[in-house]
Amino acid sequence: MPGNMIMKNAFLHFLTLLLFKQKGKHIGAVLISVIIIFLLSSVLFISSSLQKTLLDTLEYQSDFTVSRVQAGKSVTTPVDWVDKIIEINGVTKVAPRIYGRYFFAPREESFLLFGVDFFDEQSSKVFESLVKEVDLKSFLTTESMLVGSGVRSFLSKHYYKENFSFKTPKGSFKKVKIEEVLPSQSGLISNDLILMPIDLSREIFGLEENEVTDITFNVPNDAEWDNIIAKLHLLFYDIRVVEKREIKKAYENLYNYKGGLFLILYLVTIVTFMLILYQRYSMVYSTERKEIGILRAVGWSIKDILKLKFYETVVVVFVSYIVGVVLAYLYVFIFDAPILSQIFLGGANLTNHVTFVPVLKFGLLGSIFLFYAIPFLAAVLIPAWKIAVTPPKEAML
Amino acid sequence: MISVENVSKVFNEGTAQAFEALHAVELEVSKGETIILSGVSGSGKSTLLSLIAALDKPSSGKITIGGELVSKLPDLHASAYRAKSIGFIFQHFNLLESLSVEENVIAPLINSGLDIVTIKEMAAKSMDRAAISHKASQQVKELSGGEKQRCAIARALVHEPELIICDEPTANLDRANSLKFIEILQSLYERGKTIIVATHDPLFESLPFVGKVVHMEDGIIVNREQGADQSE
Repeated sequence: MPGNMIMKNAFLHFLTLLLFKQKGKHIGAVLISVIIIFLLSSVLFISSSLQKTLLDTLEYQSDFTVSRVQAGKSVTTPVDWVDKIIEINGVTKVAPRIYGRYFFAPREESFLLFGVDFFDEQSSKVFESLVKEVDLKSFLTTESMLVGSGVRSFLSKHYYKENFSFKTPKGSFKKVKIEEVLPSQSGLISNDLILMPIDLSREIFGLEENEVTDITFNVPNDAEWDNIIAKLHLLFYDIRVVEKREIKKAYENLYNYKGGLFLILYLVTIVTFMLILYQRYSMVYSTERKEIGILRAVGWSIKDILKLKFYETVVVVFVSYIVGVVLAYLYVFIFDAPILSQIFLGGANLTNHVTFVPVLKFGLLGSIFLFYAIPFLAAVLIPAWKIAVTPPKEAML
Repeated sequence: MISVENVSKVFNEGTAQAFEALHAVELEVSKGETIILSGVSGSGKSTLLSLIAALDKPSSGKITIGGELVSKLPDLHASAYRAKSIGFIFQHFNLLESLSVEENVIAPLINSGLDIVTIKEMAAKSMDRAAISHKASQQVKELSGGEKQRCAIARALVHEPELIICDEPTANLDRANSLKFIEILQSLYERGKTIIVATHDPLFESLPFVGKVVHMEDGIIVNREQGADQSE
């Protein structure tokens, strides 16, 4: 029976003995490894999760967003552009939008206020996942808004439990009911977001009936995208066009950049750690030398020694890796990565409480393992080999 | 059985610190014979033992054991030779301190291809012979000098080697433990083992089972005396 054979295997027996009896020797390496793997995995889990959330959200967004620019400055966009854009062949689902930051002067905070035409098909699709549990009919018949969890807690803290009064440019106040809080899973995009009907937002921002902040539309045929951009520039001399693919790239770059910084830190840390390990095994750790010398003297070959050290290290590497990854998973996806999440989400004016959507990229986890395991093995095996090839008597001294 | 022919050993060869530890040593040891290598520290006894045990290679000359040229063996074969034919007892015991007596004793057999149950049975026999069975599960670091020596003996005998090599085996023992060690040595002699002991302990010189006493000085054999054992 294979199980019985494994139990009776003398080499495995001896390997287990050494690992258990000399656990003090490995504990330092395991602890440092667990910390390194934990940090790196956490960073990768966070960045993968954020990227996925953002990219999933982008999937529902319009292919293009256009707005008017005058003297390099964004100004309001005439709503009649909608009619001109819809005339272009290949363009579908044109919708006006109003959005902007509403500055709450007394506390120096701002919210991202979004006015949406909820009857518009595309807009509905964009916010479908956010407003799943909201009764849209009742929401639209009253002057209500949907708020992100960050906005909700900020307002509650300042005694706005049921309603909030927006100050309009005319100096009057517009009282709006807080209808619902957006789900925390969407925290990344919705934390400081306020969603409301487009006409209500127009009133709060003081826009005219014929003004919006931008217009969104789709072009189903990707091959036509550049043509459409060219046509838009012919149609409007003062237009700014933002493509979805640009936003996608920007998101990817942002989180790759932040992840990359951590990767550099990780590489520096791991190189330092491996150097320490290398030094420990090559010279400083005299009991290691003596142990190898003794085993050589009692008949172990260089190959036997390397086999022992290899398996010993593989166990240490595996245990550290699994513990590090599991802890990182719990930290990010169960406890929502306190501290580290703020490094990634820094810049948001309201404290962001994001629930990370679990994303496991096995390729990435495999790469972490290789980047960690290979130098670790080398750091142990090269000095072990150096000791093993010296005459046993010398090594035992 | 053992033939050492014109063997020299130079450490740090080719450097300014070059040092000749052995010079043109010639030695014959018959099967089942016990010989004593005597001499002061630095006379070359330990170096000669290391070369016979294939723990090191001579700079020149050759060593054959049972017809096999061991002085030129590549590592894999030299290790196999040590694992099969040599039982080495060191002056400083050279035990794995973090392991128990039994775990130290099984170490030479780990790569023998035998299963752990068989190995443990062999270790039990060997510990019996060395009178250390009662301490089998005790950590080596908790043992006295004499117990450590008996653990080292059990380890050296576990694979039933033909040749037992002892380097200053009683240097770290008191008289009572030294005498116990000699008793074990005698029992090994009676079982037909070939034994080479490097020592400057006078206790060994007049032992009845010693066939030859070889005196060394500055890496050279200066004198050979017939021992009390005339059985050859």
